[in-house]
Amino acid sequence: MDSAAVRVSSAIPTGLRGLAPFLIAIPILAALQLAVNEMPFLVYIASIVGVNIILAVSLNIVNGMTGQFSIGHAGFMAVGAYIAGKFSLQLRDVAISALPIALSDQILLVAALLIGGSCAALCGFIVGLPSLRLKGDYLAIVTLGFGEIIRVIVQNTEAFGRALGLSGIPQRASFFMVYFWVFLTIVVARRIAASTHGRSLWAIREDEVAAESMGVNTTGYKVRSFVISAFFAGVAGGLFAHFVPIINPGSFTFVKSIELVVMVVAGGLGSTTGSILAAIVLTLLPEAMRSAFIALSGGQASLAQKVDQIRMPIYGILLVLLMLLRPQGLFGNREIWDVLPRWFARRRKGT
Amino acid sequence: MKEVLLKVDDVSINFGGLKALSHFNLEIRQGDLKGLIGPNGAGKTTAFNVLTGVYAPSAGNVSVCGQRVNGWMPHEINHLGLARTFQNIRLFRALSALDNVRVACRAASAHVDNRRLIQLRKQGLLGSAAAGLLEAGTNYLDWWRALLLTPGFLRNEQEIRDRAGELLGVMGLSPRATEEARHLPYGEQRRLEIARALGTRPRVLLLDEPAAGMNTREKADLMTLIGELRDQFSLGILLIEHDMKLVMGICEEITVLDHGETIAVGSPEQVRENRKVIEAYLGDSYLEAHAAVGSGGAQ
Amino acid sequence: MADLLQHLINGLATGTIYALVALGYTMVYGVLKLINFAHGDVMMVGAYLGYAAAQKLGRTAQSSFLGVLLIFLAAMAGCALLGLAIERFAYRPLRAKPRLTSLITAIGISFTLEYGFQLDFGPLPGAAPRAFPEIIKATEWFVIGDGDVVIWNWQVISLLVAVALMLTLQYLVFRTRFGKAMRAVSFDHRIAALMGIPIDRVIAITFMLGSALAAGAGILYAIKDTAIHPLMGLYVGLKAFVAAVIGGIGHVPGAVAGALLLGLVEEFVVGYTASSWRDAVAFGFLIIVLLVRPEGLFGRVSAEKV
Repeated sequence: MDSAAVRVSSAIPTGLRGLAPFLIAIPILAALQLAVNEMPFLVYIASIVGVNIILAVSLNIVNGMTGQFSIGHAGFMAVGAYIAGKFSLQLRDVAISALPIALSDQILLVAALLIGGSCAALCGFIVGLPSLRLKGDYLAIVTLGFGEIIRVIVQNTEAFGRALGLSGIPQRASFFMVYFWVFLTIVVARRIAASTHGRSLWAIREDEVAAESMGVNTTGYKVRSFVISAFFAGVAGGLFAHFVPIINPGSFTFVKSIELVVMVVAGGLGSTTGSILAAIVLTLLPEAMRSAFIALSGGQASLAQKVDQIRMPIYGILLVLLMLLRPQGLFGNREIWDVLPRWFARRRKGT
Repeated sequence: MKEVLLKVDDVSINFGGLKALSHFNLEIRQGDLKGLIGPNGAGKTTAFNVLTGVYAPSAGNVSVCGQRVNGWMPHEINHLGLARTFQNIRLFRALSALDNVRVACRAASAHVDNRRLIQLRKQGLLGSAAAGLLEAGTNYLDWWRALLLTPGFLRNEQEIRDRAGELLGVMGLSPRATEEARHLPYGEQRRLEIARALGTRPRVLLLDEPAAGMNTREKADLMTLIGELRDQFSLGILLIEHDMKLVMGICEEITVLDHGETIAVGSPEQVRENRKVIEAYLGDSYLEAHAAVGSGGAQ
Repeated sequence: MADLLQHLINGLATGTIYALVALGYTMVYGVLKLINFAHGDVMMVGAYLGYAAAQKLGRTAQSSFLGVLLIFLAAMAGCALLGLAIERFAYRPLRAKPRLTSLITAIGISFTLEYGFQLDFGPLPGAAPRAFPEIIKATEWFVIGDGDVVIWNWQVISLLVAVALMLTLQYLVFRTRFGKAMRAVSFDHRIAALMGIPIDRVIAITFMLGSALAAGAGILYAIKDTAIHPLMGLYVGLKAFVAAVIGGIGHVPGAVAGALLLGLVEEFVVGYTASSWRDAVAFGFLIIVLLVRPEGLFGRVSAEKV
């Protein structure tokens, strides 16, 4: 499954292997950043997509690789968003004097993201440790409940703006920053998957009792995957808070959690590339449909609203059909590079 | 005298009102090859489950390498040196054969730290909370190293890969290394389970019907292999099997269970001639019909 | 003291409604080992069906005894059919597949119902809440002191209806052959099938029963809240599920106990703090129960065969 990756990476000196992908990615991202500098709408859409990719890929670690059922991912996103947002809000007028403003801003942003992510990770630990000892169904309810509890806490806390939300967070998240974290999340997910730790997670998914009997500390592994997943969800939330004008509990509802579950399942539980693809398609599709309808109907907003409304029940029906017709999703538990060669081979043979 | 690796002391387990196992005793030393037999439902697999920590005993003591393990988690007991295979094959089906063993080897590489932790706990140098924290810390550190791809981690992964490959070779599964476990033929799946169990660096190996479903030739080969494994890896082995010829042929001592109780313990010859054993397997009517207890014994 | 009594009464009233829904959850989980996320939305559909029936009957007929009875029966029958359809087309094909698949399907159906009912073309009602017709004229039946404690007629009726439905179910589950079959299926459906029990039919009827109860709960809830809206089933459903878990999932009397307990706790917490914490109570309670006694109050710790 990872033989290709092994061949490529053995060409790189051992000490550098951890850093290598970043040395390539950073210049590319910087170039892209320059290219999209004057296109705010594109940047906005791309950022939304990027955040969803981070959320889907991180959720895939728990639901896909480890085979658990977490349906409260938006809760961790909310924790990250509010904590990071509040941090930046408080330090809005602060700058590190020794550095140019732009750099200082970015450093503070990264600090905010790390703090938001860490708080989300801590929540992941607190939620995960008791519930991962229990059977799968319970985790679903607990994670759902966790999301709701966060929502209620925020709605009752003046400091977080209650139902009206938090505004005025400095909009510092650039295309580069968002996609840097997208890249980082993907690298982390792939590294976990390819390592024996990832294999152990998969073993837990396949047969938890057998894994436990083979010396795998199943509870520990489950909690760890949960914590890492929560961390990245928190970072995604933090990034979100720094490019949207206002955040309120309505952005982090149960519906959002379900949308993320749909992405992970549709892409294939356990497939990182599947989650990425599904996140992109399922984020862009409704937007595209809405724009298409507006264009076709000559600017009639009501029709576009109808499309938006229909989106949700159609989501529901799609979910049911997906489970009935192709429960393994797009790529099953493989990655795109495992599946494509086979598809092409089959077409060449004319089957 | 060789060290006692597994000591089972008057262990019983009840499920509600059902006495699944009563006053079970057993000792395994290095180099032993013992058998556990009995009619279906006698409690043999239950015994394995109690020994490996899947169930906690209702009474009695289980000790692995001198350490009492009642109520311990299965993975902790495994770290002390007890591994098993399953009656109904429980491989990681979507994983390749190699990966199945790699998972076990990865768990084994965590042993080393855990044994030290257990030692420190015994010496009273670490409270159990501190030990838990230290273990968790080590685990998170391990993941950090995995994410950063440190040279130490990469070396570790390569060692695990190599060791897993060797074990596959020992069980004759090398050509199947990259195939998904679920696609392997039945006999090879059973051997893969053994390879996987060996990955955890056990000192005692519990094999639950390792030859089930195999033909005579395969069974004979497997039994020879088990004897070799015992010598090559310095193990003590406890075997559950239904095939009497096999068990009698290879085991030095046999314990017979029926309805959770031990009805006989002894050498193959002693067990074969034991009236209670014959009764348990074949029923009173057989005994009455064949009054002479000949050498045929239970088949 | 008067406050305490009032909270007690309100809590019990809410609790019995949760109980009716919780029973459906626990029965379905018992036979299918599935958390039917769509169950709360079936309750919502029941409320809407009751609404439609009341409209059909007209002002006078709808508040008559016969009228109210018809409204309940119409809603319960309609939801029974809905439950049957859902089980037949969405859950049955997936019975052999891993549980996650069915769980996701359940979520899909829940979504479809919730958001489908929010559309406003054709027969679909639209997102705006509608006032539920006053089929039971609200009157204060028992008043203690100077209006310190008020027991409304609909609270008493609600309690009685809920208890009646629960007793009927209790009878069905524990005194009839069908009930025995249902319990057999919930222990081990493969063995039950081997014993000649028509598990498909048993499961289908279990669904229908649960859905009918949910419909009843829906109407009672609509009477209490005086309004219905497409998302009303979501939170009641979640809380009812929490109640079922607290009582021990799969345990029928446990579901009732859990639901009453939850209703009371919720009412007391809200009464003595603020109503904005209402939704968090259920989940907070759940987490505490899961930490202390995960199998629930009455549940049995089930061992997996290794």
